[in-house]
Amino acid sequence: MLRSGDGNREEAGLIPPNTATKMAGITLQQRRRRFGVGALLPAVVIILAILAYPMAASLWLSLHHVELASGTVAESFIGLANYAALLDDDSFRLAVANSAYFSVCEVALVVGLGLGVALLLNHPLGRSGFFRVLLIIPWAIAPVANAVLWKWILNSNYGILNAIFTELGLIDNYVTWLGTPGRALNMLLLVDVWKSIPFIALLLLAGLQKIPAMLYRAAWLDGANTWQQFRFITLPSLRTTLAIAIILQTLWSFKLFDLVYVLTRGGPADGTVLLNYLAYRETFNFLHIGSGAAVANVVFFISLILAIAYIRMLRPGGRKVPA
Amino acid sequence: MRKLIGTPASSLGRRDFLKQTALAGAALGPLAGLIAGSARPAWADTTEISVFAPLPPDPAPPGDAKFSQDALAAWEQAHSAKVSYEAVAWPQLHDKMATNFASGAHVWDVIYMSGWVPEFAKFLQPYAEKLSPELVSDMPPSSFSTVKWQGKNYGAVFTLSLLTLFYNTEHFEKAGLTEPPKTWDDLKRYAKELTRDGHYGWVLNYGDPAGIGGVASYWMTYLQQAGGKMYGEDGMPVFNNDAGVDALQLMVDLYNNGTDPGSISYVGINDATNVMLSGKASMMMNWPFTWKPAQDPTQSKIAGKLGGAVLPAGPAGTASIDGTDAWTVSADAKNPDLCRQLVEFYLSPDVQKQQALQTGWLPIRLSMLADADVQKALPNAAVVLEQSKHPYDSFVTPDYNEVTQAIGTEIQKTLQGAKTAKQAIQECSDQVTAIVKKRG
Amino acid sequence: MQGKSSKLGRLSIQLGLGIFAFWTLAPIAWLVVSSLMQQQALTATPPDFSPSAFTFQNYVEVMNSAAALGRGLANSLIVAVSTTAVALAVGAPAAYALARFQLPGSGPILLMILATQMFPGIVVAIPMFIVMSHLGLIDSRLGLVIVYLSFNLPIVIWILHGFFLAIPVGLERAAAVDGATTLQIFRLIVLPISWPPIFATAIFAFIESWNEFFFALILTRQNAQTVPLVISQFAGQYQTVFGQMMAAATMAVTPVVVIAIIFRQSIMKGFTEGMIKS
Repeated sequence: MLRSGDGNREEAGLIPPNTATKMAGITLQQRRRRFGVGALLPAVVIILAILAYPMAASLWLSLHHVELASGTVAESFIGLANYAALLDDDSFRLAVANSAYFSVCEVALVVGLGLGVALLLNHPLGRSGFFRVLLIIPWAIAPVANAVLWKWILNSNYGILNAIFTELGLIDNYVTWLGTPGRALNMLLLVDVWKSIPFIALLLLAGLQKIPAMLYRAAWLDGANTWQQFRFITLPSLRTTLAIAIILQTLWSFKLFDLVYVLTRGGPADGTVLLNYLAYRETFNFLHIGSGAAVANVVFFISLILAIAYIRMLRPGGRKVPA
Repeated sequence: MRKLIGTPASSLGRRDFLKQTALAGAALGPLAGLIAGSARPAWADTTEISVFAPLPPDPAPPGDAKFSQDALAAWEQAHSAKVSYEAVAWPQLHDKMATNFASGAHVWDVIYMSGWVPEFAKFLQPYAEKLSPELVSDMPPSSFSTVKWQGKNYGAVFTLSLLTLFYNTEHFEKAGLTEPPKTWDDLKRYAKELTRDGHYGWVLNYGDPAGIGGVASYWMTYLQQAGGKMYGEDGMPVFNNDAGVDALQLMVDLYNNGTDPGSISYVGINDATNVMLSGKASMMMNWPFTWKPAQDPTQSKIAGKLGGAVLPAGPAGTASIDGTDAWTVSADAKNPDLCRQLVEFYLSPDVQKQQALQTGWLPIRLSMLADADVQKALPNAAVVLEQSKHPYDSFVTPDYNEVTQAIGTEIQKTLQGAKTAKQAIQECSDQVTAIVKKRG
Repeated sequence: MQGKSSKLGRLSIQLGLGIFAFWTLAPIAWLVVSSLMQQQALTATPPDFSPSAFTFQNYVEVMNSAAALGRGLANSLIVAVSTTAVALAVGAPAAYALARFQLPGSGPILLMILATQMFPGIVVAIPMFIVMSHLGLIDSRLGLVIVYLSFNLPIVIWILHGFFLAIPVGLERAAAVDGATTLQIFRLIVLPISWPPIFATAIFAFIESWNEFFFALILTRQNAQTVPLVISQFAGQYQTVFGQMMAAATMAVTPVVVIAIIFRQSIMKGFTEGMIKS
């Protein structure tokens, strides 16, 4: 009498090979595969169903000139013309420049400072749960709420930042923090860095805690100082984690929207228009649905390349049970 | 692990089954609640009218804003109708509208518009052609200019909303100024002189380039005061001349001498209004609504100290722009006559009077503008009436959003000294030409 | 751990920790403090911190206002809980399958899952809106759940996949030896020891759903408004009462922050296990 667990027992070597399966009429491989497929299928179906059409539709739209007509959308195929037009468009070029500056700076600051925070919290003095709580709070705040808060802090007339700096004597007159394109972009950077550091620090902290203390002990016994320990033990061990942190933060920096929408609306003078926001503006403010979709897809493709890099980085470490 | 082998398959199966159903139930329970929550109550004999409007304190109808609610209830009863509102913050209106129109789904019957009629004309119906003659005769004829498109009338403006000058009488006294500025030169001089004692002479919101109430629209005010206009007969831009450049130059001069430097970061008019009401600026241009909150001591530090005047005149006299707050009816409204009647209700004399007294938004009805109570409660009404005798074109076209975005961005760059007024206007003209041509 | 700590070393560590604590807490403290202050006090230069400036009026006004914060909170709660429940119920088995069985196409599937995180929401906004309106799901919580599933389910799978890969196979093999079916192994062995990361993933999905703004903006009208929408409405066009804005933001943010603090251990432990494997 074949029991349901016999397939596994056969694999484990307790029953002669193929007896159980021959009796059942299906191979062990098929059975396990069936389970796997059954477990995976609902998820794949849901994801494809909800996202596949819109994503395909958006790609489709980007290849058309789209006009809104009464109740319907009129499309005319124009191939890659939308994308070509982007290359000539000043706003697009500015958005690319802004996004590049923003992403590079944000990733450098967030990962760099996040590493610093992680190191601090890994130190015996930083072991208290209080600091762990601090890591969680900014991450849990809704981006919209964060934007509203910082808009208030940076307010040029009543903002607390101006008040504090004046009291400290750092400035004589109140500064319009969001007043010039460069300054506004940097403030945007500041706010998102503030929000993003804790999570990345958390990630890096987890990575730090995996490094065996023995390594440090041995190095110390060998006479290595703090910096050398950091350079030859900490950094190499953290390599994968750091790479993951960098890629994640880069991807997230492309998706930034709520902050730009609330804080600056892309201004002044398009100084804080990032690619994502540009796509929104083209689509919703000007109803250039085709070219808005083109911009969005540009972001998508850039991110996709990074995502592939991320997956590659993870694969060598994976273990799979042979089916 | 021993336990697994000992138990007969059937009882394990039952436990599994129960667990499974429990899990499914836990997941589906809220789902069922969700689905139930999505059903709407059916009103047996009444017609539902859905209205899309801004949230107060922006111009909002009775029921949305708290005035004339009894009158609305009575109207609903009389017409066997039920009016439901969807109200969102003003900056979100255009986005929501665009998404809904693009999807082709019927969502609202009566829709608030502000400068978007030409853009969305395809989705509206020209119900205003059928407005009662009594109402039309009581409205300024030019109020229909911003809601007409290709010869058809799509909307009814419900508040006389023009930019006028507001100034702090106390600041003026202290600076020895007895009269509001009458010309551009006065304005520039006053702005400079009034920048003292912890306040600036002028404040305005230069943070948002686009839309009515954005930077570009302010420039259009000055453009008209200099005798210029946006488009020629063929729809192409005709502002690349002295009028356009002088208008921009005025903004630059003001900006460099006496404007609150925070202005470049004030995205909505409320940011600038805040500065004015806290006594930190002496002059600004603003919509008629400003009068009411300025007199409220909980919101304003300048209660009783606000003065109003017509905008200073440029080379061609004074001019302004129209807020164009109007009611339109969607093309696929199921009961367009009832919708029209609702709009006529909103514009009925009594509701218009209450609109003025309770919310500060002036009536559009000439008879109500002249009403003694309204004039007493809103001294500013006389000023707005005076302003309305001069040009106030908002130059609304289907590309209004995109055009104002382009022009506004160039203006922002000019204000920051990145280019000269002449260069900017040339650039604007080129960009607007490209935008208009794209439409074909 | 890295050698002898000198006095200077200890001092600089303490300074670093202090700066970090201040930098993180100061904005939040200001959020709460200014929500308790009157408009007049906040618009004074510098702000007026005298005791008479403090009031609960802002909270009262917010709760009375037309924006219906209460309904927003209820909607957010229902949507977030439902999304999380379904995402876990469907995602955990899927993650397990991807981790343990070499199924055809699991590479591309993983890539697809990651790809769903890559595009900004507005790419799919209009097509998604069209589909939702054909289905009659506009302004419904169910509609929001479906849309939120589209990005929460992949996250759940992705994180749990990493975690399941890290579980030693030995436990499962032992169970296999004893004759357990794959399903039993999953249910009775893998799941119980995966409680921390599953719980952490649940919290993560909950918070992502709660904080989502853009699709809530597009897909809801009156009935299904969520909390972030309500907050954004407080920046009206003509007048801003800063204290009220902060009060609304505080009320919106507090539930989630409290949850995150309470369950931080699970989040931190389980979550990072899943994102990086040893």
